[in-house]
Amino acid sequence: MNEFDLQIVTPDGICFDGKAQKIILRTTEGDVGILAKRANYVAALSIGVAKVVTAQWEKKAACSGGMVSVTDGVVRVVASTFEWGEDIDIARAEKAKEKAQNRLASTPKSEYEYKLAEIKLKRSLARLSASGKN
Amino acid sequence: MASMKAIKNRIKSVENTRQITKAMQLVATSKMRKAKEKIEESRPFFETLSEALSDIASGTVDFSSPFTQKKEGKACHIVIAGDRGLAGGYNNNLFKSLSYNDGDIIFPIGKKVVEYFSKKNVSFFTTEYQIAADVKISDCNSIGQALAEAFEKGEFASLDIYYTGFVNMLTQLPASKEILPLTSKGDGDKKKALIEYDPSPEVVFAKIIPHYIGGIIYGGVCESIASELSARRTAMENATDNAGEIIDSLSLTYNRARQAAITQEITEIVAGSNQ
Repeated sequence: MNEFDLQIVTPDGICFDGKAQKIILRTTEGDVGILAKRANYVAALSIGVAKVVTAQWEKKAACSGGMVSVTDGVVRVVASTFEWGEDIDIARAEKAKEKAQNRLASTPKSEYEYKLAEIKLKRSLARLSASGKN
Repeated sequence: MASMKAIKNRIKSVENTRQITKAMQLVATSKMRKAKEKIEESRPFFETLSEALSDIASGTVDFSSPFTQKKEGKACHIVIAGDRGLAGGYNNNLFKSLSYNDGDIIFPIGKKVVEYFSKKNVSFFTTEYQIAADVKISDCNSIGQALAEAFEKGEFASLDIYYTGFVNMLTQLPASKEILPLTSKGDGDKKKALIEYDPSPEVVFAKIIPHYIGGIIYGGVCESIASELSARRTAMENATDNAGEIIDSLSLTYNRARQAAITQEITEIVAGSNQ
């Protein structure tokens, strides 16, 4: 399979920098898969599971916020967070999920708080599914 | 010659000062290491983000986003400086590099910025993020969101950031960067390659800009904190050295005074016994 240069960066450091065969990302418009020789492309990312496939391995990650850009064959993922499935603390994610669910189930608060809980739930679900559970 | 007791007191007080400056130096050194790691981690993000955004801006000429339009009006300046003094010229160097007009909006990060501007004819965007050391990436994202919204509403016409760039342990330079409106670089023609936006450039821009602003602020904060710590380390190192010198010269004076007192006493005794 053809390979392309992929860079994944977050404020906490470089998560990946090398050749990849395929990357699937959750954009604001839905899941998007990118292969080598993609035409120039830009999209904003939302919270979800990302999948990276290289010649050697295939890994899932929880990704939130930021953007993906393809310029002249180089794919750059600039995300707020990007955690590989194997690094995710499952117990913590479970706890966060329950907490967010409880908050959503209890009487609705201000719109802002509701949104915040929703985002937290989405994030914890993404982390759980990236870590292989659910 | 000053009395021996007075000199002794001075030596003691200088010694106390030296202890404090030495402690501050050590604290700054150990914090410095962490701050430097943080910069090294965040720099690629910072650079990739700027690069990607300027690529997009130079490639896009065929659509109108409020974020690329030049307007006349007030400017908003994000100013990042320290929370405390005793860091040599760190805060002052940055303030000297500022260029702003009366009536501009200031987004202060760092207590010293608030102090500096409270006497000036400017307004604050918010003073919620006063303590530079406490600013996290999540804060930066909400700041980015708020600033992007305010820019869209037309509360200000341009946005730039002033921070102190960390060059190395001994050199920190005040730096500034224009954030909004996004301007394409000179080589726009070369990169006019078509870019596909999903779903549309306007929507993508509206989503990305807050992240972009947040990312730049976070990068600026990381650089500034490391700069502040290394400036403080240098300043405190100098202060400790100076205190050492003062103690040396005071000890010399003290020993001279002691010797003089002994000599005088002997002279007096000898003079007395000869009578």
